[in-house]
Amino acid sequence: MSAKFKEKAGEALFALASVLCIVALLAIFVFLIIKSVPAFEKIGFFSFVFEDKWMPNREDTYGSDLSGTYGIFTMIAGTLASTAGALLIGGILGYFTAVFIVFYCPKKLKRPVSTVINLLAGIPSVVYGFFGIAFLLPLLSNIAPNNGSGLLATSIILGIMILPSVVSLSKTSLEAVPRIYYEGALALGTNHTRAVFKVMVPCARGGIIASLVLGIGRALGETMAVVMVAGNSVAYPHSLFNSFRVMTANIVMEMGYAGEVQEGALVSTGVILMLFVLIVNLIFNAIASKAVKAPNKNKQPSRVKEKLLFIKQKSSDAVSRLAFKVKASEIGGYSARAGGIIVSLVLALIIGFVAVNGIPYLLKNPYLVFGKYEFGSQRVSIFPSIICTVLAVVLSLSIATPIGIATAIFLNEYTAKSSLFVRLIRMAISILSGVPSIIYGLFGLITFVRIFGGSSSVISGSLTISIMLLPTIVRTTNESLKNVPTSLREASLALGAGKMRTIFKVVLPCALPGILSAVILSIGRVVSESAPLLYTMGSTIKPTPKSLLDGGATLSVALYRLASEGWYINEAYATAAVLIILVLGLNLTAELVGNRLGRKLQGDKNEEKRNN
Amino acid sequence: MRKREIIKAQSPFGQSISVKNASLWYKDFQAIKNISMEIPEKHITAFIGPSGCGKSTLLKCFNRMNDLVEGCVVKGEFKIGDTDIYGKIDINELRKNVGMVFQKPNPFPMSIYDNIAYGPRTFGIHKRVALDEIVEGSLKQAAMWEELKDRLNKSALGLSGGQQQRLCIARALAVKPEIILMDEPTSALDPISTGKIEELCDNLKKTTTIVIVTHNMQQATRISDKTGFFLLGELIEYGDTEQIFTSPKDERTEKYITGRFG
Repeated sequence: MSAKFKEKAGEALFALASVLCIVALLAIFVFLIIKSVPAFEKIGFFSFVFEDKWMPNREDTYGSDLSGTYGIFTMIAGTLASTAGALLIGGILGYFTAVFIVFYCPKKLKRPVSTVINLLAGIPSVVYGFFGIAFLLPLLSNIAPNNGSGLLATSIILGIMILPSVVSLSKTSLEAVPRIYYEGALALGTNHTRAVFKVMVPCARGGIIASLVLGIGRALGETMAVVMVAGNSVAYPHSLFNSFRVMTANIVMEMGYAGEVQEGALVSTGVILMLFVLIVNLIFNAIASKAVKAPNKNKQPSRVKEKLLFIKQKSSDAVSRLAFKVKASEIGGYSARAGGIIVSLVLALIIGFVAVNGIPYLLKNPYLVFGKYEFGSQRVSIFPSIICTVLAVVLSLSIATPIGIATAIFLNEYTAKSSLFVRLIRMAISILSGVPSIIYGLFGLITFVRIFGGSSSVISGSLTISIMLLPTIVRTTNESLKNVPTSLREASLALGAGKMRTIFKVVLPCALPGILSAVILSIGRVVSESAPLLYTMGSTIKPTPKSLLDGGATLSVALYRLASEGWYINEAYATAAVLIILVLGLNLTAELVGNRLGRKLQGDKNEEKRNN
Repeated sequence: MRKREIIKAQSPFGQSISVKNASLWYKDFQAIKNISMEIPEKHITAFIGPSGCGKSTLLKCFNRMNDLVEGCVVKGEFKIGDTDIYGKIDINELRKNVGMVFQKPNPFPMSIYDNIAYGPRTFGIHKRVALDEIVEGSLKQAAMWEELKDRLNKSALGLSGGQQQRLCIARALAVKPEIILMDEPTSALDPISTGKIEELCDNLKKTTTIVIVTHNMQQATRISDKTGFFLLGELIEYGDTEQIFTSPKDERTEKYITGRFG
């Protein structure tokens, strides 16, 4: 009887958690609709999207006539242009780097280089932005008519930022191509480079394109780094060096002090941005699922198609004849090597630049980290920011982790895989995991901050960021649970164990490495996020919070403040160094934990061998 | 609280299995068609037949593992001893008494010791001394004690396939089941491991009822007392193994055992 009660209570708890999770996720959709529809109605959807005059008036309300103008076309153009630029730089570099790692990199270097790329993904976007301000802009100003900010700087920074996504996904799909193809090509007398570019790369084409699309998604939603190098005037990016504004920047620049209609217009900007991200994600899913499927089943092409195919073949024949003459694949081989080297150099440059400038200052001025905050003092202390960061990490994870894991358990262990309910949640989660973080910030500002007394606070910031973490935690936990073989569950049930015991003693322990590294990566995310915290947690360095209703800048936000004000450049270097050390440490831990536990579960096969 | 007595206590179930007019559907597909049979206690009964004939499906009805399959509907009467197992019973209690060994070895990614102790722990035994006793007893019963006693704390995944499968049998034995179901337990193993498992079955039938699904006709003749031949969800012929293999009554049985189809 008591066992039965336990089972029922457990199931109820898991169900409750997933309801909570759904409510939180739905709240965002509802919020976006409620806030954007009136604005679209008042301004007019078409003039909002296609007009290029943005002169909002704080006094505008839905009751009166509009005196400001609300058109975001310049920013749409800005977002598209910077994304295209990022793709041009990061996409090409990333593609060659992936090819380099898989096919050209000496075996010993393979793991370190991949780790380095993954570390690039963990560096907070404010650090990239800061690198832009402190290194790239001064460099570019030598050839630029202005201080260097504008499309080129933005594209370079964004390009570096999308590198990790492009490289890691391309790498995975290149590694998935069966080695026998390569051997088959070599057996026909082709050399290494030709086998790579003519056989292996085409086989992985789907995955590589998907990786580029993923990169596009990331570039579209990036906020802080762009804000720091784009200049942010409302203008088209008509040259490589003129100040322009992207959609995310529009939100972050004005959300702090927006009037009624202006606020609606900012949420609407977010909605338009989400539409772009959504389309990109749809394309991504279509390509990714196609890439997984087996190479096309032999379908009988129609007459017209046959003709088109013929033409296509003829033209591609011509291209490949030309390519053969100029030895295109040889060039590809060199490019791959160059790509690998460039990426390593870029990372070394960023980390080296910050470390060389930051760490000595840090060592000379321990006050910066450990000192007491004094109002109006010239001596900056980031101690309160460290406390704020710790609070945000602890609070948001203690909210998001249990709910997220319980939701994943409910989805995976209790519900039929194909039910409508589950598909709906899956869809909501996959949409939300692509939502730019600034949109969560906007949501937090308008809901939590208003609920908790109107000014930013630790509690609103933590709640905001825990909602942002939910989709990732649910998804990764779900993946790890799915990877636990069904046969283990059957074995446990067949021994007479109940469902709860099976879940807690067999399924969860097996899924632990995945779940743990997701949690550690989430910590890293809280530490590095700035856009969603800027207006929910606090945007300035204040005295250490005494209660959850006090606010203050986390480390990342503090870096943004210190870097963009320009008064405290040394302090900014030091803060960036602290951030990088923290985040790199967390990422390395995540990787180690994943590996160590994974190996443990695999059974120490090597040890067995040694014993025998 | 569940106490140690539970494992020692007389099982509420018996050791014989009786099936009457059983049918089973996976959504629209009828996998079992009106089967009736009596499986005697402390014997080895083999289910043979070509793939997809419903023999594994029927086997999984005996410990209700089919409950896990979405869209599975069962009709008819299944009795173990005198208990209707699709009636009001504690399903975990049923599975404790009707152990199962799967086609592929599925040890938990834990130590050898913890694998075997998993079942007893489920039923409330936590004292180290008692667990040690059970682990040793089960491994001895499975004839593995000598080869494993020095590495009980090593991961079970480090064992060979054959050892893993015998470990799974030992794990099933640790909760003292009355009946053991084996779903092609040797299909993934080499001949030597297969021989060891068959030997083990022969020893186990002194105390336990065994139902084994097999694709290997020689295996059925070597170890089983009774054999049932299944085809397309129907039980074509069921009787003493010797009779089935020497003088089958049904033409289809004869064709199958002489290797002319299937």
